[in-house]
Amino acid sequence: MKTGNEFTAVKMMNGNEAVARGAFEAGVKVAAGFPGTPSTEVMDYTQHKYPEIYCEWSTNEKVGLEVAIGASFAGYRSLAIMKTVGLHVAADALGGAAGSQINGGLVLVVGDDVGRIAGDDYNDVRHYGNMFNIPVLEPSDSQEAKDLMVKAFEISEEYSTPVILKITSVICKTTSKVEYDEDYTYQVKCREIYPVSFSKVIMTTIMTKAKGSEHPKLTKCFNDFTANMKRLAQNSNDFDMNRLELNDKKIGVITAGTPYYYVKEVLPEASVLKLGLVMPLPEKMIKELAEHVDELYVIEDGHDLLEKNIKDLGVSVIGKELFPKFPDMMRFTPDVIEEKLVPNAPKRTPIEGVPFRLPVSCAGCSHLFISQILRKHKIKAAADVTCGLIGCFPHMESYSLQKCMGSSIALAHGYNIAKDHKENFVAMIGDGGFWATGINGLMNLIFNDSKSTVIIVDNSCLAMTGGQNVASSEFGFNYKPENKLDIATVCEAIGVKDIVTVDAYEFDDLEKSILNAVSAETNSVVIVKKPCVTKFKLPKETPSYIDQDKCVKCRKCIDVGCLAIESKKAEDGSVEIVINQDICTGCRLCSTACKFEAIKS
Amino acid sequence: MQDTGKNIIIAGVGGQGILLFSNLLSKFYMKLGYELKISDVIGLGQRGGGVESHFRYSDKPVLSPFIKAGDVDYVISFEQTETLRHLHGLKEDGVVFSSTYELTSTSVNTRLQKDLPESKTEMIKRSENETFIVDPEVHKSPDFNINKMMNVVMLGYYAEFRGYSHEEMIQIVRESVPEKFVEGNIIAYKKGTEIANAELASR
Repeated sequence: MKTGNEFTAVKMMNGNEAVARGAFEAGVKVAAGFPGTPSTEVMDYTQHKYPEIYCEWSTNEKVGLEVAIGASFAGYRSLAIMKTVGLHVAADALGGAAGSQINGGLVLVVGDDVGRIAGDDYNDVRHYGNMFNIPVLEPSDSQEAKDLMVKAFEISEEYSTPVILKITSVICKTTSKVEYDEDYTYQVKCREIYPVSFSKVIMTTIMTKAKGSEHPKLTKCFNDFTANMKRLAQNSNDFDMNRLELNDKKIGVITAGTPYYYVKEVLPEASVLKLGLVMPLPEKMIKELAEHVDELYVIEDGHDLLEKNIKDLGVSVIGKELFPKFPDMMRFTPDVIEEKLVPNAPKRTPIEGVPFRLPVSCAGCSHLFISQILRKHKIKAAADVTCGLIGCFPHMESYSLQKCMGSSIALAHGYNIAKDHKENFVAMIGDGGFWATGINGLMNLIFNDSKSTVIIVDNSCLAMTGGQNVASSEFGFNYKPENKLDIATVCEAIGVKDIVTVDAYEFDDLEKSILNAVSAETNSVVIVKKPCVTKFKLPKETPSYIDQDKCVKCRKCIDVGCLAIESKKAEDGSVEIVINQDICTGCRLCSTACKFEAIKS
Repeated sequence: MQDTGKNIIIAGVGGQGILLFSNLLSKFYMKLGYELKISDVIGLGQRGGGVESHFRYSDKPVLSPFIKAGDVDYVISFEQTETLRHLHGLKEDGVVFSSTYELTSTSVNTRLQKDLPESKTEMIKRSENETFIVDPEVHKSPDFNINKMMNVVMLGYYAEFRGYSHEEMIQIVRESVPEKFVEGNIIAYKKGTEIANAELASR
């Protein structure tokens, strides 16, 4: 790791930017992945700041990881970027790479959304470390995010293993200073050590059957991954990234990630083992700390994985019995540690009854038009992972089923066959979800003779994560007009019988198209086109306003779910429904919901 | 007395330019040679969700990216519901700067939840901390849209309160925002200093 003498520049960076810098310094040649909060910007920074590195947003995380694995076998350091929910999609690919021969270092940067910034169900990437027996590193600030990135590649090559760099939403979105060598020259090396790299199934078959053989055709398939990991565990006791800070003999804490800093702030006297490599564990260091202190705690964001792994070493630690995990706590804060471990800490409680904020679609979003039509005609539908899933929340109630990304088409198909096609349960999916895995659902639906209807919302980007390119976008890292995929053409090629494309803002057309598709006797796709209002900064029309003399406060316009429509208390205490003039885009969707012609522009 | 550092929570809703505010302020404190950690907590939903930035500067290395409740020196908020969410974290001598702008919560719009029975502005004023309230309606100007530029107005306000060099702050604004927005931002910044100046003189 770098010492203080080697840097020439200091810059404030958030964790995502620091990881990108680390990728550059590690000499990464290929970066592939799929957007996902909080780690999307790792790719954005890599692409914008270090054009030497080949970058691509792949169709989904599994494809992205496979691209990186292929590039790694070619001998070059390769990087896969995704969030933990995305690694679920790519898990099969990771299982294939785990324990196999690694030529160019292979690192997965995976974002754990601790604290539910983007609202996904709480996941912990370290489970994959345990399951596949691969190392996991976790930085505590931006400096370490950069430094550990370089280290991750060294470990990957030295111990022939894929390595996960776990970053959390706190790391990704916290800006702190990074010292680095400004004059660093980018170097790519080709490291071709192994002529083959196979999944464990092939390797273990050969290794166990041909144990002791020296025949080169057999030995080239050997890769003793369990020995590699044992060696790594042993050596990790001497790694700089694992740091034992022996102080007070009363309280000891084993910690990693940003919680390390919470501990240092709240318990400055405590003895601390700060882990940079969270899997495998440095057993000697842990036992040394355990012997030094009276009480040993483990403070870790996410699930109780360090805790379990430490207990497996025969060391007794206090973890979730003092800091219950779910549903009480989503992630650690300094406050939680102070409350439990500092005697007589003052307790501060928030003001009660401050209204919470449910997520709302941007004013003018095409999804609002679709939600409105589904609700108006009481059409039952499944949503996907898309900005449109906001229509699932209780202030909108447009959808009754929603699961993972790309799922809605197969969910609707399953529902419809179970109900013997007596009702048409509709699937709504975004363009990102469609290309990611939804397209498989559509192929499945066709060749299994389903009559379902699919609404594909084409907003020309992956809007929810900030507008990254998808296969049908007219921009992107490697974009060429002749390579752009067209949703309608693909649907036609797959064999969809009835395909219609409609502009989201043409409300009557859209309504008619959806109703026709739903009542059709065949399978059908409605492609709803409108570029994302936020990403493409669509020009605004004259904002609408509500004529208070005509408004009867039926609140039907509020049910549209637009951010611009508010219920306000007037000075005399009465309630007025108003349209926020700074937010309204003048899309006029709300006027279709008003029977009293009170909404004007 | 030498300023050894402060803990600031910057709050508001998506689209109000909280990140720009913390970015401009961070450049100022960097120039003064402080250590910094800035943690942005962005809520769910691209627009209209609650956003908070934990902004810490210190003459010593900053440890936790989050400010512990009870350790907050300043709450600077561009939306008053969000102000209320953070009042409990203030130190006894902590100070509140809050816009009276309000974006009604979805849960209230759709009657999933009752709004607070009393005026939020009055609740803020009544807090035991020193409070500075900025009403965008009162300070409306034909020169710029105060609702859209409350972040920079508040930056001017805060800088005036702290007695910072406006020249340096304006220079940072110039270097940081796209050229076509520079003039508008400087007008907003100066407006903030004027409002603060009048308010401070009256106290």
